[in-house]
Amino acid sequence: MTTTDTGQRRRSSDHRPLIPSLIDEATVLSIAEEAWLALVGEDEVLVPLSVELPVDIMSSWVDVVGPWTGSVVLTTGRCTAEALSRALLRESAPEVLEIEDVEDAFGEIANVVGGNVKAALTGPSSLSLPQVGNAPVVRNPADVCRVDVVWRGEPVSISVQGALPPLPVLRPTPQNPLRENEVPL
Amino acid sequence: MKILIADDSRVMRQIVIRTLRQAGYDDHDIVEAEDGADALAKVGSEQPDLILSDWNMPNMSGIECLQALRASGSAVPFGFVTSEGSAEMREKAADAGALFLIAKPFTADTFTEHLDGVIA
Repeated sequence: MTTTDTGQRRRSSDHRPLIPSLIDEATVLSIAEEAWLALVGEDEVLVPLSVELPVDIMSSWVDVVGPWTGSVVLTTGRCTAEALSRALLRESAPEVLEIEDVEDAFGEIANVVGGNVKAALTGPSSLSLPQVGNAPVVRNPADVCRVDVVWRGEPVSISVQGALPPLPVLRPTPQNPLRENEVPL
Repeated sequence: MKILIADDSRVMRQIVIRTLRQAGYDDHDIVEAEDGADALAKVGSEQPDLILSDWNMPNMSGIECLQALRASGSAVPFGFVTSEGSAEMREKAADAGALFLIAKPFTADTFTEHLDGVIA
């Protein structure tokens, strides 16, 4: 008898936890506050408050791969990311910041926050190098633990978000060919 | 004393140097390396007395650098300064021959706690 593998058995046994069952907002906030005090400055406080992000935003994140797989994403206005970078560099900050300086500093904050989020999760996981750019897309709204804060009057969001389900793979069709330089996800 | 600081983040290398000064270790030569491979090369050329290394770096990780050093017979004192401070990683670091693991974020007090007795 021929059977068809529908994937149902794999799916039902492949139960992966969602992030709200692993970490709560208070823990994420506590991790961020500690990172801010140590990296940004002893007097730098984060106020838990949801304020709309500006149009020109920048994100930095690290990926966590393990029993829970996803990203720890920091998002703020580009100007705020620059202010954070200056705060980290302090007296060694150049008069004009290069984009590499901002990517390095803002990425390092994500690295420190992400590393501590990873340590708070159960089971062995690996952590990627930090990335900076447009934030990964939220795949499953139920697999998100997000904290919104205000630093020096500017909004910063910290989102611990799952990477599943994967985004659909784009395949070129005669009706919808891939454009030049377009990369399948 | 010569201290080699290995981290792929220039900003973090600056923060480590600043924290060393805040902890009172301000009279030492500092050498910087931007990844594990660079650190491994500079151990040969600079002969540091202590290495403070990030774990997660491109090209060669901190733990790979430490393993390569010990495999080559080098016993240079080595400590991690890394954002990942789980019990599993601390055990792995100790097994490879690291003296300590300082988890980021850290303070000058954290440095004093781990470095007193290591830095003359």
